[in-house]
This record gives sequence, structure tokens and C-alpha cells, in this order.
Amino acid sequence: MPEKPVDKGDSVEDIKPAAGSGPEIVEVIPEVLPAPVAAVTRTAADEPVAAAVSATSPEAAALPVSESPIAAAPVEIDEPVVATIRLEKKHPLAIRWMHWVNFPVLLTMIWSGLLIYWNDSDNAYQHPHAVYRVGVGSLTVVRLFPPWFWKLINAPYRVTEGLGYHFFFMWIFAINGVLYVSYLLISGEWRVLVPERRSFLDAIQVTLVDLHLRKGLPPQKKYNGAQKIAYTSVVLMGLGSLVTGLSIYKPTQVHWITSLLGGYEMARWEHFWLTMGFCAFFLVHVGQVILAGWNNFRSMVSGYEIVPAAKASLEEERRAG
Amino acid sequence: MSDGREEREEQEQRRKWEKEKKDRDDDLDRDWERNGERERRDSRAVEVEALNPAVRAQSGQRTRRSFLVAATAVAGGYGFYRWLDRSPMDMRLQEPLRHMLRVNAKVSRAIFDERGLAPTYSVAKSMELRTNGNYGLKMDLVPESYRLQMVGVENARGLPQYVDDVTAWDYEYVAKKETGPVEHDTKVRPKSETNAVDGAGKVDANGDGGAGLGPMMKGGPASTMVGSRAKGEDQKAPSELLAAMEKMKRRPRGQEEAGMSRNTLIPGTPGLLLKMDEVTSLPHHELVTEFKCIEGWSQVVHWGGYRLADLIAKFPPARKADGSLPKYVYMETPDGDYYCGFSLQACMHPQSLLATEMGGRPLAQWHGAPMRLHMPIKYGYKQIKRIGLIAYADRLPDDYWTKLGYDWYAGL
Repeated sequence: MPEKPVDKGDSVEDIKPAAGSGPEIVEVIPEVLPAPVAAVTRTAADEPVAAAVSATSPEAAALPVSESPIAAAPVEIDEPVVATIRLEKKHPLAIRWMHWVNFPVLLTMIWSGLLIYWNDSDNAYQHPHAVYRVGVGSLTVVRLFPPWFWKLINAPYRVTEGLGYHFFFMWIFAINGVLYVSYLLISGEWRVLVPERRSFLDAIQVTLVDLHLRKGLPPQKKYNGAQKIAYTSVVLMGLGSLVTGLSIYKPTQVHWITSLLGGYEMARWEHFWLTMGFCAFFLVHVGQVILAGWNNFRSMVSGYEIVPAAKASLEEERRAG
Repeated sequence: MSDGREEREEQEQRRKWEKEKKDRDDDLDRDWERNGERERRDSRAVEVEALNPAVRAQSGQRTRRSFLVAATAVAGGYGFYRWLDRSPMDMRLQEPLRHMLRVNAKVSRAIFDERGLAPTYSVAKSMELRTNGNYGLKMDLVPESYRLQMVGVENARGLPQYVDDVTAWDYEYVAKKETGPVEHDTKVRPKSETNAVDGAGKVDANGDGGAGLGPMMKGGPASTMVGSRAKGEDQKAPSELLAAMEKMKRRPRGQEEAGMSRNTLIPGTPGLLLKMDEVTSLPHHELVTEFKCIEGWSQVVHWGGYRLADLIAKFPPARKADGSLPKYVYMETPDGDYYCGFSLQACMHPQSLLATEMGGRPLAQWHGAPMRLHMPIKYGYKQIKRIGLIAYADRLPDDYWTKLGYDWYAGL
């Protein structure tokens, strides 16, 4: 028989994940939540670390055990004896599809964009691209890109191909992006993605931890502060690419946008550096995914992550925001 | 709850258990194990041991299923890319990409209607325009020999400028006095480089670095097809036209890479031959706009000249049998090497200018003297230099760069 999960006094310690039917435990959650909610939640990949560092709140520290006692209703398993791990639905199907569709499409946009950019990098004839350089005023540190790079990606004289692909895949990129943002808004998934005020402080901490300058990750739900900022930024960058792209594509018809962006050359500059931003995002993102491990990566394909049974449900977060 | 002692004992026991537990490997099992009596815990642990693999198995099943779907999607995506990349070429561009350019043009027309005005700038911001592309300009044109041919004009027969065969007019050329700044067009692979790539070792028929001094200008062989990756078809001129050209002992038209235009006039085409003063008597306009090349560069340029719309109003197109106006306008250099097609509406745009001055000076030969087009609603490759012919057309006219893989519409 299930024990009564909540008692006055040491109620917190008495909660047994193994105990009894789901519904009863679910009822408990609201009472337990006021305790340090965030003390447990971590991605499964870092679970041991999280458990070790989560006991930062006084209440959790007072416990004889190193972990905080929040129980969550098991989602997948209905047996009276509950496994210590469970499958958690982390990424909705729509988001997984749109994420993976975006990858080759953005890659095609960058590649075809480079084929177009090559055209304006004619150093041999004293027309080095005025736009794609690093420098201030007349001082140029480096021009992008050096001839060996163009050769490497086989860019010379493939402008028509670049334009053809760019103006084909722009639709897929735009439609996918619009669908993604619409899905976030309609499903409420934006709540786990959009940074809150504390995400910015968290992000600094997370970065310091990643750089091994600090120990102790701040508590997080689906995404930590740095992730929230990065994922929201990259969506905004996508919007930026669409707007700057349109202002380059139709600079006469939408000249008011082009003017707002600082003119045609400025718009091209912005379009270019946004692309460089995507490349930087890609490198960091892939690096972090490799570090986070298989369980995390798999969840972007299958949607499910194996998490400790006691981990707070993401559904809670999605509802609560 | 029982009394305090019992509770303390229990806590004692629990701590002890926890200590032992810490030595165990599976952290994930800790959640429930600190509860209940030890025996019960152990018996439950066995059950849990059996349950966790079940969760993992379920995960494995989901993983296999979704990776299978993912693999299918990757295969489908790769198939799509291959289909796109290996589609038959339509004017040196994969058919689906070409089709999409047309769809994009339709969308642009539907949304913007090409009526937007390009922003204008102060003259102080303008600069000398780069020269880029000398097709149709490889020799200097003797200004006195210039006439503007117009074909398809309403009531042409009744006008004093009417001639039975506009193609019979002889433009006189002289060798270039000044080459002007030699530039490098990067829109297609240069012929010399292509030859090197092809390893064919052909002589570059126009091997003059764009100065207009190559053997081609002396009536040498046409070097039409270039490009190692140019998978397009060779353009064949109609045989009757070739025969007529042969008879006239003229330099063949369409000597550049894109070949001869479909719209090149058949000898015997009637029309108007206009002297420059027919144009210069129109109201003069000046415009400082940003010239945009599809290669990626842009420059603010100070133009002076006459509205194309005014010329069209002066010599309006003949209406078709059903009373409608022709939809297109076709323009060509006097030697037929370079040519552009436009919608009539684009030509009627108030900023479409027949430019005779640039930077406050008369147009240089290498910029297309005596008259070139400036059209800020289009890319530079539509802004044809040295206009020899303006013809109204019912069907979509041929266009030099379109045949080499670029967009016909080219609307900005």
C-alpha cells in the first residue's frame, strides 16, 4: 500500500517516488513545489554533477541526503513499483522536424550565399569587396575571404548557381521559420525558450562553468540561461536574415526597409555578419551537443530523454511558464 | 508518527544506509531507496532493476523508430537535392531553379507592381561608375553614324523617320581611341580561364582582356560557348537570318558568349531611324540613384538624360489586333552583341532613363555613348549601353544574361 506521502514535520523526507499510484503523487506536487523547485532539474547528461551541486539551498542542504526530494508523477510507467528512470518527452515532433529541416536549408543558404559573395571579392582588379572585411574606416585587418578559401569551396564563377539556389531555398527557410515561431507561440513552448530576467545572470554562470572557471551550475528547467539566450537569439537572427535579405533582394521596392537598415551596403554587411553569426552558433552548438552526450542528442531525434524518475516534469514547466 | 526516539533511530538507520549507498554505482537508483524498511527496499530494488531496463528498452524502440524515419528523411532530402542539381538545364540554370526565378518574379510583380521609386541622393554622394562588361562596345562608334532604330511604333509608315529596312543602316566604327578603365566582369568565367580549365587549348577569340582589340572585332570566328560547367545548349540562329547576313557581308551579330539574340531583326524589317535630336528634344532629367550590380557592388551615380516613358509616349507602340498594347520592349546594341528584354511597364517607370550624361559629363564610349539605359528598378545587367534598337514585342524578348543563367526579371 502506498504510504501517505505528506506528513507534517518531515514530510519532505517521506515522499517516496516508489510509493503508490500516480495521481496521488501528482497531488503532492503543488505542496512540494514551494520548496526549492529548481534544485533538482538538470539535463540527464549532467545528472551526477547536478545532484552534487544542487544542494545549494539551505533546505536541501539540511537534508541528510544529497538530493532534494521532489517527486514527479511517472509519465511512462504505470506499474506500482516505479523505475528510477523514466522517459521524458523533451522535444515535440514539430520542433524536431523544423530543427532538422532547417539544418540543410540553412547550410544551402550559406553555401549559395558564398557563391554569390565570391562575385564581389575581385581583388585582382582592385575591387576588393568593400563590405566583407574586418576593419575600421580605411584600416582593414582582413578581407573575407582569402583566395585559398574560395578555391577550397570551389566558389569562382558559380554565381548563377548561387543565385538560383539562394532564391529557391529562401522560401523553405522562411516558411520553416514562420512555422517554427508560430508553433512556439501556439503550443506555449516559447515559455521554455524565451529568456527571463535571471537567464542573463545564469548565462554568465553557465559560461564560466563551461570554461572551467567556476563550479556549480545554476538551476535550470528545460534549458539553462545560456541556452535560452542562444536559441532565442538564433531565431531572431533568422528573422534578421530574412529582413536584411529582403532589403537586398528588393532595395527599390522596399527601400524604406533598406534605408532603415542603413542603406544597401549596410544591409549587405548585416546580412553577411548575421551569416557569420550562424556559423559561430553552429560551432558552439555542435560542440555543446557533443559534450552533452548521446542521451541529449537522441532526444532531438526521438523526442525522448531518459531522466531520473524524480526529475520535475517538463510538462509542469510548460504549463507554468 | 511514532515518538522521537523511534524517529531518531530510523534517521540513524537511514543515514547508515545512505553511506553504504554512496558506494554503489547507480546514482539514479537513489531516489526511492532511502525509504521504507531495508528488506522491502531490497526486494523492490530487484524489481526496479528489472524495470529500468524496460524503460531503456522502450527508449531503444522509440530511438530505432525515429532514426529510421530520420534516415528516410535524409535519403529523401538527398534525393531532392540530386534531382534539383541534375535537372535539365534551362538557359544554363537547372529547370526547377529557373522556374522558381519566374515564380519569384510573379510574386514580386504581384506585391510591388514595380511602381516603387528608388531613393535618390545628393550629387555630392555620387561617383564615377565602374565599367563592367564591354559587350557591344568593343570598338568606338562614330557619333555621326548613330541612329536609334525603333520597331513596332504606331503609324510608323506615316512618319518622316520611317524606312523600309532599319537593319540596312550602317553604323561606322573606329578602333578605340581610349580603352577606358579595363575592368573584369565576373559574371561568367573568362574565356581564357575556361580554355585553361578545359585544356582544349583554344585561342581566345576575344583575347584582349576586354579592351576590344581581339581578332573577333575584325570579323573573326565567333566564340560563343564558353564555360566548362556551362551545360546549356548552343544557340542556333535561324538559317534564313544567317543566309541574309552572309549576303550582306556584315559582321555576324551576337558575337559574345550568349550568342545571337532570337529577337535580332531579320533584314528587311521596317521601322523608324531616329537621330539623337529626336531624343534630346525631350524634357531633360537628372537623377542621382544607386546603381546595383548583381555581382554585389553598388555605386551612387549622377545620371542625366531623357525619360524612356517620354520617348515611348512620343513613339507609342502599335496596338495589336485586339486593341491591346504589346507587353514587352526589346533593346539591342548596334552590333547585336548585347541585348535586353523588359516589360513595357518597367520602361514606363518614371525613373527609367535614356542616359546621355554621367557625372555631369557626356557619356564616355565605354559607358555606352551616345545613349544608354539607366533603370533603378533593375540590376545593372539590364541597363544596356549604346542602345541601337528599341522594339516593341508581344512575346518575352531574349536577354543576354538570362541565356547565361541569370534571371530575366532582375527586378530590384
